[in-house]
Amino acid sequence: MQLTFRIWRQEQFQDKGAFKEYLVDHLTEDMSFLEALDHLNETLVLKGERVIAFEYDCREGICGQCGIFINGRAHGPHDHVTTCQLHLRSFQDGDTVTVEPWRAKAFPVVQDLIVDRSAFDRIIAQGGYISAKTGTAPEANAILIGKETADKAMDAAACIGCGACVATCKNGSAALFTSAKINHLNTLPQGKLEADQRVRDMTAQMEEEGFGHCSFTGACEVECPEGISIANIAEMNARYWKARLFA
Amino acid sequence: MKLDAKIPEGRLEDKWRNYQLKSQLINPANKKKLKVIVVGSGLSGAGAAATLAELGYDIQCFFYQDSARRAHSVAAQGGINAAKNYQHDGDSIWRMFYDTLKGGDFRSREANTYRLAELSAPLIDHFTQQGVPFAREYGGVLVNRSFGGVQVQRTFYARGQTGQQLLLAAYSQLNKMVRQQKVTLFPRHEMMDLVLVDGVAKGIIARDLVTGELKRFAADAVVLATGGYSRVYRLSTLAIGCNGSAIWKAHKRGAFFAAPSFTQIHPTALPQSSESQSKLTLMSESLRNDGRIWVPLQKDDPRKPNDIPEAERDYYLERRYPSFGNLAPRDIASRAAKERIDAGFGVGRLKNAVYLDFRKAIADYGQQVVQDRYGNLFKMYKKITGINAYAEPMLISPAAHFSMGGLWVDYELMTTIPGLYAVGECNFSDHGANRLGANSLLQASVDGYFILPNTINNYLAASLATDTATVDDPAFEVVEQEVKDQIDRILSVHGKRTVDDFHRALGKIMWQECAMSRNKPGLEQAIEDIKALRTSFWSDVKVTGVARGLNTELEKALRLADFIELGILMCTDALQREESCGAHFREEYQTEEGEAQRRDDDFAYVSAWEYDPEAFQLHREELTFEYVQPSVRSYK
Amino acid sequence: MKSNRLFFRKNMIALTGLFLCLFLIVHLSANCLLLLPQDTARGLYNAYSTFLRENPLIMVVAYALYASILVHVVYAVLVLIRNRKAKPVKYAVNLHKENSSWASQNMGALGALILIFIIVHLVNFWARIKLGIGAEVAYDEAGNKDIYEVTYTLFQNVYYVAFYTLLAIPLGFHLHHGLQAAFKTLGFYHQPGLQWLAKVSLIYAIVISAGFGIIPIVVYFQ
Repeated sequence: MQLTFRIWRQEQFQDKGAFKEYLVDHLTEDMSFLEALDHLNETLVLKGERVIAFEYDCREGICGQCGIFINGRAHGPHDHVTTCQLHLRSFQDGDTVTVEPWRAKAFPVVQDLIVDRSAFDRIIAQGGYISAKTGTAPEANAILIGKETADKAMDAAACIGCGACVATCKNGSAALFTSAKINHLNTLPQGKLEADQRVRDMTAQMEEEGFGHCSFTGACEVECPEGISIANIAEMNARYWKARLFA
Repeated sequence: MKLDAKIPEGRLEDKWRNYQLKSQLINPANKKKLKVIVVGSGLSGAGAAATLAELGYDIQCFFYQDSARRAHSVAAQGGINAAKNYQHDGDSIWRMFYDTLKGGDFRSREANTYRLAELSAPLIDHFTQQGVPFAREYGGVLVNRSFGGVQVQRTFYARGQTGQQLLLAAYSQLNKMVRQQKVTLFPRHEMMDLVLVDGVAKGIIARDLVTGELKRFAADAVVLATGGYSRVYRLSTLAIGCNGSAIWKAHKRGAFFAAPSFTQIHPTALPQSSESQSKLTLMSESLRNDGRIWVPLQKDDPRKPNDIPEAERDYYLERRYPSFGNLAPRDIASRAAKERIDAGFGVGRLKNAVYLDFRKAIADYGQQVVQDRYGNLFKMYKKITGINAYAEPMLISPAAHFSMGGLWVDYELMTTIPGLYAVGECNFSDHGANRLGANSLLQASVDGYFILPNTINNYLAASLATDTATVDDPAFEVVEQEVKDQIDRILSVHGKRTVDDFHRALGKIMWQECAMSRNKPGLEQAIEDIKALRTSFWSDVKVTGVARGLNTELEKALRLADFIELGILMCTDALQREESCGAHFREEYQTEEGEAQRRDDDFAYVSAWEYDPEAFQLHREELTFEYVQPSVRSYK
Repeated sequence: MKSNRLFFRKNMIALTGLFLCLFLIVHLSANCLLLLPQDTARGLYNAYSTFLRENPLIMVVAYALYASILVHVVYAVLVLIRNRKAKPVKYAVNLHKENSSWASQNMGALGALILIFIIVHLVNFWARIKLGIGAEVAYDEAGNKDIYEVTYTLFQNVYYVAFYTLLAIPLGFHLHHGLQAAFKTLGFYHQPGLQWLAKVSLIYAIVISAGFGIIPIVVYFQ
């Protein structure tokens, strides 16, 4: 099959970018979207041009490194899918596909389709952990955790940190990301001791990084590859007030 | 050079304790004067960096991804083994040690393997405390499931995302130490070479992948935690960025490379569907708990799988290995699949797959139970293939997966270069010739969290007396220049073939001759072919872009240049080892039934290769079995 | 501890929004009197209006109401400014309709329309009755200010009928998203409750916007 890719090209953060069109031939339906870009890059190399910079690593939907805004949707046309798991069978022969980097002030463009998501790491560094030194843990079964609690924590913990939530949010809000980590840790008994401090510090960092407000459009939970529920944000809001008023 | 594994004195059960009792300590005030470089942010790297930082060392951690959370430990699905015996099914440290040793076909050290089993139980405590949401019973206790190659249930898991949860726990601890300013992270930095000062590891040259700048970093010790190198086959279950360059550079600087050809081929990956494919997605081995593997009895059976009656199906694993059946270890399951596919019984469009069928499980327990156990895997299968595996069997195929081989390390995890450590998958240590399922997360974690932090002090205590190296040392300048020359050389070839094109060619040779089944003429030819490929690479590769700036093609090219050389060593090793053991199957050495035939009299040693541009030099570390008598590894 | 603006602002909007939602219920219930036959409606409506003007409690509530509108608007503007800054470059193609409701994507614009409505509404009624701007309001037989007459006269003008009715539509959309979002912003995360909340918000939005939308038309045909 044949597709026209309309791809955002930008040398570096300071530069102005622009779309450039590439007609790509010899594609097959079972190629993944990233393999199509690989293929395009090989043709660019042979023409002596600089390749399109885009990110990927595991290519099985778990590392969270890939992330492209494809035809108006974060990670492409399907719900709950990463870019690496998008295949060309989701497009029609002859389609034009618009390919853009994640857009948010907190995610500056590094080059072409690569953005800098280190703001996420800095949020995690403000309490997205349980302070447990290696070698200090009690016997694992000494802390009983009900299945429902463990499942709920796991639902939130599944976040892969891809940034689709921020990318799709009209406000560039990181509320889903931040709330997922807060709820993962604050739900578990091990995380309870630092619960209030964690909420205060992580949300403060979220504000500091320049993310927008959450207005509950719900776009994030649809684009989230792990389908993390927006109810997490509501729960974080409750935890925030608890931390502010009662702690 | 005589290889000394430094196995401590005493009974097997006492060795690790004896080691710790005798190892040197460093007082906390002195620890902060000591700098340690950790390359890699996976389970072993992040675990080591966080723990060393907790102990007070000054840590710098490097990784090529944009965030430490992306390291490929994240992709492990099934679980992590631990001898907790929570299921009351007769498990023990000893049994786990024995299973691991036997699973590795008696090609690993007793003492290392025992320590792995011994430290497995506290590791589960550790991860639980860090907030890993392991699966639980309604009553609140931890759940276990079984994995290939064992008959007890000792695998702990967090849905099909165990690796992710463990890695995120390690990543969170790493960030905890970043906040305390004990760890400095260097994301998007790739180690280009190791710097030795007077034969001792004192630093690295790293390339900033965004600016292209080469930077020097000095330290008192260097820890490599760079994972496996199965991308040498190009198509593998690994992340695209996974590479062997760091350990290869260390090897070229003097670190011995042990058992390079021991590569695990995972039996349950998705089959290759086209030439342009970049990756083979793994489907967790846990699927073999309930899925049954089969091919049609009739060659080129045109019928759909569901139309083939029970009597005309060949459940070849159940047939050949009645006691372990579908839970036979990975090397055996993969080879059995290859045997059927090569014999012409393969299924799927390219006839390169076998069926993994859940019909019986669904009939026995209902779809809901199967969905609870493997729902996310079925969903993933649907995403990638578009097929509903509840209604028809999955198509699976073997794929290159784990590197049992790696840098040779002693009991302290130090390589043959003083001050250079290798932890996790990039060392060779504990798995012998085949790794059991759910033991890789274990080994990576135990190395990083528990072992290295207790052994590195033994080395650093001595180096306290000497000054920390600085980047002004002439050795740094020399190495940096060599790196720069290599980059310039690649960029100046201006040939006609892309890096990927060369990688596909390398992968084809390696998969054909140095994967599940190997033979002498094939390996000899492969070595010639790869050497020819190397020549052709350096005269015909085309890399666009610049050295000073973000250049993903250049990154790929540099990694491939190392893979090509590593490929030669892998084939050399496979050729030299004239026996079959674990994942290393030499066609010349098999039983009448087609099972692997070990030759303990001649090959009960670890092959440790020394780099030599002319011909790799073999050193042998004899394996002595004091506590377990190597037996024929039977899963029948 | 320093207050987090991301939370504080949204909470102010949510609290004032919920108060305004409550007010709308009261306001609409009273306005339903206008649906009665003219003779009955006039007396009841004027009596009710007089009660509202003279009750001290209601006067306090009225100031709270003005303040709420003001706070709601001011913080909405602040939120909007920050959100714009957080998303400085827009996508060339954005199919947000596939992942979120239209109302949720356009709360600012909907709010602006409602603000225009409120201003016109205040000029039509509040300014005339409370501030005495414009023609003096007459008294009915019971000696109450004849607010009914003010309403009736206004809605004999077909343009005003159209304006009031049409602007009840954005109000409905704004309320549908706003009500549920307000609860979530304030930390209501109970899962089955959220599904229930979504239904209640829909019913509430339909009732309020249909109610306010129909009244001008009914009065016009009286």
